[in-house]
Amino acid sequence: MVPHSRAAVRVDRLRALNVPTPVAVTVDDDGLPVEVRPSTGTVTGDDTPVATRRPAGPPPSSGRITEVLEVWRIDDEWWRVPITRRYVDVVLDGGAHVVLFEDLQTGEWFVQQP
Amino acid sequence: MRQHRWQSTRQHAGPVNRRSGPPAYGADEHSHPTGRASRTLVSDHAACLWIPLFPLRCEEWRRPELVGLPAALLAPTDTRRAWLVSPVARRMGVQPGMTVSQAIGLCPPLTLIEPDPVHYDETFTQFLLALERVSPVIEPAELGRVFVGVDGLERLYGTPEQQIQVIAHAISGKGAEGNDAVLRLGWARGKFLSWIAAARAKPGAPLVIHAEHSAAFLARQPVAALPVGSDTHRRLQQLGLTTLADVARLPEPALVSQFGGEGRRAWRLAKGLEVEQVTGRGRPEPIVAGLDFPMPAADRLMLAHAVDRLVERALSHPRRTGWRVQTARLRARLEHGISWTTDVTLKDPSADRKRIAGPLKTRLELAPPTGAVERLAVEFVAFAPGTGELQLFARDADSAARAGRRHALHAAAREIKTRFQHSRLFHVVEVQPWSRIPERRYALIDFEP
Repeated sequence: MVPHSRAAVRVDRLRALNVPTPVAVTVDDDGLPVEVRPSTGTVTGDDTPVATRRPAGPPPSSGRITEVLEVWRIDDEWWRVPITRRYVDVVLDGGAHVVLFEDLQTGEWFVQQP
Repeated sequence: MRQHRWQSTRQHAGPVNRRSGPPAYGADEHSHPTGRASRTLVSDHAACLWIPLFPLRCEEWRRPELVGLPAALLAPTDTRRAWLVSPVARRMGVQPGMTVSQAIGLCPPLTLIEPDPVHYDETFTQFLLALERVSPVIEPAELGRVFVGVDGLERLYGTPEQQIQVIAHAISGKGAEGNDAVLRLGWARGKFLSWIAAARAKPGAPLVIHAEHSAAFLARQPVAALPVGSDTHRRLQQLGLTTLADVARLPEPALVSQFGGEGRRAWRLAKGLEVEQVTGRGRPEPIVAGLDFPMPAADRLMLAHAVDRLVERALSHPRRTGWRVQTARLRARLEHGISWTTDVTLKDPSADRKRIAGPLKTRLELAPPTGAVERLAVEFVAFAPGTGELQLFARDADSAARAGRRHALHAAAREIKTRFQHSRLFHVVEVQPWSRIPERRYALIDFEP
C-alpha cells in the first residue's frame, strides 16, 4: 500500500471522472466480448488472461453480455503517447448498459459508464 | 500615487483615533484570507459625497434629452417593475416597485429605461479614481455614495470648505456633465455625521459640520437617520421618539434592554459618541487561480474554456471584493519545462468575467503557447477601486434569496471541511466535453467556499 504523502490537497487539482476500471473479459472467436468479470487474472476466448491489473474496488458491472450494441475504434494522440482503443457498447445480463474497451497497445480490457 | 507614498513612508504612523494629521494605518485582517494582513488607512474626519439616484443620473449624463422628463429605470432582474424613478415622475405618482403598466397608467409620458449596471459601475469607478488623487483614504459605501478621509488634508488644501471644493472639482466632468446640480457633499467628524450632512445638503451647497455645532445638528435629525433595522425604526416611532435628541435623552441601559446591541449603537450615534472612521484599503496583492491539466492540453478551445473558468474563480476570491481588475496575466507551463505568459491591461477596469477573459483569449489566439500546456494560471496583478460586489442588485429580493442560499451552502461546506480536515465536496467541471475519450470530458474539482 502506498503511504499517504501528507501533502495538502490542492484546490486546483482536477480529478478525472469516469476513470476506466480494469476488468477481465471473455471474448468469442470474432473478438467480441461475451462475459465481463472482476479482473482477477482470468480469461479470454479460451481462458487466456487479458487483464492483469487488479481493480481498486469491485468492477462497476459484471456478468454475461446479452447484446452488443455498437463497436468503434479510436486512434488518438499519436504525436505523444498513442491511444488506440476498441470500444464495445454492451448490455449485460440484467439490463446494465456499460461500455467496454480494449487497449490495443496492451491488450487490457476496461469498463466505463456510457 | 499618493497612496503608495503614504504606505511606504508612514506605515507605522501614530494612533488611529487622533483628530487630525495624516491618515493612520491599521491591519485589515478580514480582507486577507491567507491571514497575511494588508495595511489599511483610516481617517476620523470624512467628506461624504452622494449622488442620489446614481444609476438614473448616469443615464441622464449619457442621454441628456432625459433631463427633466419623467423617467423610470427598470429593475435589473425584473424588467416589469420600476426600480428608480426620477423626481418628475415621482411627482406624477410613480413609485419604485410599481409595475410598468401601473406606472404608465399614472404617467403616460413616462420614459422607461433598461438598466445598464456595468455602465453605472464603470462611471462610479471613474469617480473613485478621481477621488484617489485627492485623498488616499476612500471608502465606497454604495453606488453613488463614497466617503473621503480628510484627516491631514488641511495642510494641502486648507479649510474644510476648501477641501470640499477640491473634491467637487476632482470629479467634475468624470463622465458626468453638470453633476454639480445633483452632487451633495457633507463634511464632519465620522461617517455617520458626514452622511447626514450630505443628505441634508442642497445640491451645489456643501454642508460642513464643525465639532462645536455637531451636537446641536445631531439633535435636530429625525430617528430615520439612524442606521438601524426597519423593525427598530418602527418601534422607536411607536415609542414616540422622533428625533435623535429624544433618543439621546434616554438612559443607555433603557435602549440596550429594548434593542440590544443595535440600541446601544443607536444611542451612541445619537449622542455623538460613536465616530466611525473612514477606512481606505491598500490595493490587494495579486490573485492567482491555476489549473493543472490531467494531460497536457494543446487544444485552443479547451484552453479558452479554461481561461473562462479561471477568471471566474479569480473573480470570486474574497480579496477581490470591492476592487476591479486593471491588469490580468495569463501564464502557462508547457511540456519540457517551457513557459509562456501574456499580460492584458484593461482600458476600463472591470469585474466582469467576459470583459477580462475576452482580451486574454484574444492573446491566446493570436500568440498561442508553442507547446501543450500542463498548467494554466490567471493572475490579477493590478486593481482599481470599485463598489462592493453586486451592490446594485442587493436590493432585489431574488438576489437576496440567491445570496442566502449561497451563504448556506458555504456554511455547510466549511462545516464538512472542519469535520473531515479537507473538502469532501466537489464541483463537476467540463474539461473536454467534446473528447472522444470519455474520462477526458469531465472532472471533479474541490469545492472551496
